[in-house]
Amino acid sequence: MVYGVLRMINFANSEIFMVGTFATIIIIRDVFKFSQTSEPATGLRLWLILATALFFSMLVAGVLSMLVEVVAYRRLRRMDSGVLAPLISAIGVSMVLAESVRILTDSRPVASPRAMEKKFIGQFFDAGIRIDNTIIVISALILFATLITFVNKTRMGKAIRAVSMNPNSARLMGINIDGVVSATFLVGGLMTGAAGFFYTLKYENTASNVGFELGIAAFTAAILGGIGNIKGAFYGGLALGLLETYASFFLGTQWKAVTVFLVLVVILYTRPNGLFGEALTQTRA
Amino acid sequence: MELNQVTMKFGGVTALNDVTFDVKEKEILGLIGPNGAGKTTIFNVITGVYQVTSGEIVFAGRSLSGVKRYKITKSGIARTFQNIRLWGDMTALENVMTAADTHKKSGLVSGLFGLPVSRREEKRDKARAQELLDFVGIGEFSDRLAKNLPYGVQRRLEIARALGAEPKLLLLDEPAAGFNPSEKVELATTIRKIRDAGYTVLLIEHDMSLVMKVSDRVVVLDFGQIIANDSPGKVQDDPRVIEAYLGVPEDAS
Amino acid sequence: MINLRDKGAAIWESQGRLGRIGIAIGAVVIVVALPFMGGTILNTPIADYESVLVYPIAMYVLMAIGLNIVIGKSGLLDLGYVAFFAIGAYTMGLLGTKTDLNTWEILPIGIAMAMFSGIILGIPALKLRGDYLAIITLGFGEIVRIVALNLGALGRSEGIINIPTPPSIFGVEYRFDSHRVYYWTLLVLILLAIWMVRRLSVRRAGRAWESIRQDEDAAELLGVPTFKYKIWAFVLGASVGGAAGVFYASKTLFIAPDNFTLQISILILACVVFGGMGNIWGVILGAVILGYLPDRIRFISDARLLVFGLVLVIMMNLRPDGLLPRKKREKAIVRKGAS
Repeated sequence: MVYGVLRMINFANSEIFMVGTFATIIIIRDVFKFSQTSEPATGLRLWLILATALFFSMLVAGVLSMLVEVVAYRRLRRMDSGVLAPLISAIGVSMVLAESVRILTDSRPVASPRAMEKKFIGQFFDAGIRIDNTIIVISALILFATLITFVNKTRMGKAIRAVSMNPNSARLMGINIDGVVSATFLVGGLMTGAAGFFYTLKYENTASNVGFELGIAAFTAAILGGIGNIKGAFYGGLALGLLETYASFFLGTQWKAVTVFLVLVVILYTRPNGLFGEALTQTRA
Repeated sequence: MELNQVTMKFGGVTALNDVTFDVKEKEILGLIGPNGAGKTTIFNVITGVYQVTSGEIVFAGRSLSGVKRYKITKSGIARTFQNIRLWGDMTALENVMTAADTHKKSGLVSGLFGLPVSRREEKRDKARAQELLDFVGIGEFSDRLAKNLPYGVQRRLEIARALGAEPKLLLLDEPAAGFNPSEKVELATTIRKIRDAGYTVLLIEHDMSLVMKVSDRVVVLDFGQIIANDSPGKVQDDPRVIEAYLGVPEDAS
Repeated sequence: MINLRDKGAAIWESQGRLGRIGIAIGAVVIVVALPFMGGTILNTPIADYESVLVYPIAMYVLMAIGLNIVIGKSGLLDLGYVAFFAIGAYTMGLLGTKTDLNTWEILPIGIAMAMFSGIILGIPALKLRGDYLAIITLGFGEIVRIVALNLGALGRSEGIINIPTPPSIFGVEYRFDSHRVYYWTLLVLILLAIWMVRRLSVRRAGRAWESIRQDEDAAELLGVPTFKYKIWAFVLGASVGGAAGVFYASKTLFIAPDNFTLQISILILACVVFGGMGNIWGVILGAVILGYLPDRIRFISDARLLVFGLVLVIMMNLRPDGLLPRKKREKAIVRKGAS
């Protein structure tokens, strides 16, 4: 989303994700006082905990995201400084966040106590369906649907789309660019925070460096789907996930990243728009 | 040059429909038409920015289909742009020299080692570039950065730069945009000077009086189709042309 | 803020020919003498000062010059530059341990390998623009690292050990701890690189790259064979990176995939942007500062990367064009004309 509006790769996003994962742990461990030996929660209490954790992660990530924008990018945007200066600034932010967390956690991974029993609730052919995976998938779909609605139907969503297509006209039509940018970062941050929650829920573990690899995957997924295009990002993420899984199945996990990149190259080469997005190699004359 | 039954489609939109006309050597051909008629598309198709959906473009006896853009330029076609696209961080002289590099024999390797052929060509092209700047009347700006030049100078630099590529056919895309009447008169003189120096000119312009004064022949485009191809006087009186412009044969700029 | 570049340019321009030669010689003398200034405030705790001069500083400078050709001059966003460094290093590692060739003989081979991979990467990648090019190059960098990590022939995660140092030349010995000698060798390479870049900048190549950077489509339409020159930029940048890699392997005697991470690509990129893209002196300055800083501030120990990140953010916001922005020769030229 940030790219669509600002044509900027938000490197720091992966660190915001990482912060989201920690936020989730804080809720589960410190607010609800779970520990390694606690009984998993059930029923209504469980939903309450999950909802709070999700909400809190999203909130923290969203606010942090907006903060980052104001501190690290806003000035550069005002000065119209090209594409590389914000990139380096983003890298700096990324380092600051990652290092701060690393120092706070003593460079050690932090475990999340299990708040729920990860039992199987069904079968799909050969594969068992676990409840946490189901929750993640369904929540992601809901969030995604909400995002699409927001972007297409609400006033702010329309403003965001307008700015992404033509910032100058948007400004002339009275749209507050700063506000829109803040909103974009907020929403982007919210989504990222949710991702952090999902991650912690599934892997029950996090560390200051989880942001990086996933960040690369996220960006690759966005490009695969056609950058700037939200639906594309969705399908891109899906495609990438499938691709990674098949690749590691057939070739062994160590070649996973390589295959993914090779596929990315092939796709960009043959369908330069990604699957859905704007044309990347089109000339303008 | 000839355009034979050129059709250009973008998805569902037909920008050019069965366009056929030719440009004779050493003439000034004006290309006019209401906004959106497809004039710039014709330039883009000639210079290889788009590949035609069907039809053929023949230049100096050879077809241009599938030829790489810089090779098209090398074979003798150069253009200016409607919205100025100079290389702002380079000086005026460098802008023209870059275009002149098109025909250089020496390249990166000979430049690196300072081989005589490279030095010779460099000197020659530098002199030629200054010559061209003088030719269009902006010789004194040769060492100024292109982005710092006044608008009128920039427009003329665009022309000098295109000439730097030693074209046989020069495509001018709305060279008079934003000019006041006296600048337009100067421009007309310059265009005629260019033709007299041996170049062929294909000119897109909105200013009717300029086009009619300067062109030997005029082609009129409307909705991607040619509706007239004649001498300026006859075209002005052509009812179809008048209709296309909603009865305003003279541009009110 | 003070405009370093213009002040420097003013001083340079105001000197006659003799003055300029004097300044140049003075600068060279200072730079050559740097290894001797170890005992002063320039000292870096923990890491040996002279060793730091070689790596990261001199190597970063060399690589920054190379990357500058790609990003600074031609505007091609390359986020995987470390790949060329790695290829040079691994070539040295493999050939050094498995054959009888010495460093000087392997150097051209290493450079050639890097250039070759520049072509291989460039041909598909340079058909793309902007951020897409960035991601492809980033992928390439990572792929090289992952391949090195997983191929038995390249030592997997243990890497290659016992890489030989260069044999003595002109009676000068290269031991693994003779930092000064390495430093001066690298200095020669750096000077060569600077010479190459400056030569090309005032000729057709330089103009071609500038026009590509500023408006590639217009360039193509005015006769610039853009694809060819983009590949050249990549190849030349790669050659410099490869050379640095060969020497890196030959000095540190031991290389492993962990030495060639994305972080290095990004660091070199930071040198280029931070120092001033397109401006070779700016890039050198950027590399010197960013190479020196993390070790110098080791006294803050654990938080030093944090401080580094902060420095990046602050610098970019204060001076987005870098410390020494692209040359604006016009000012100097106008002044000359006026006097």
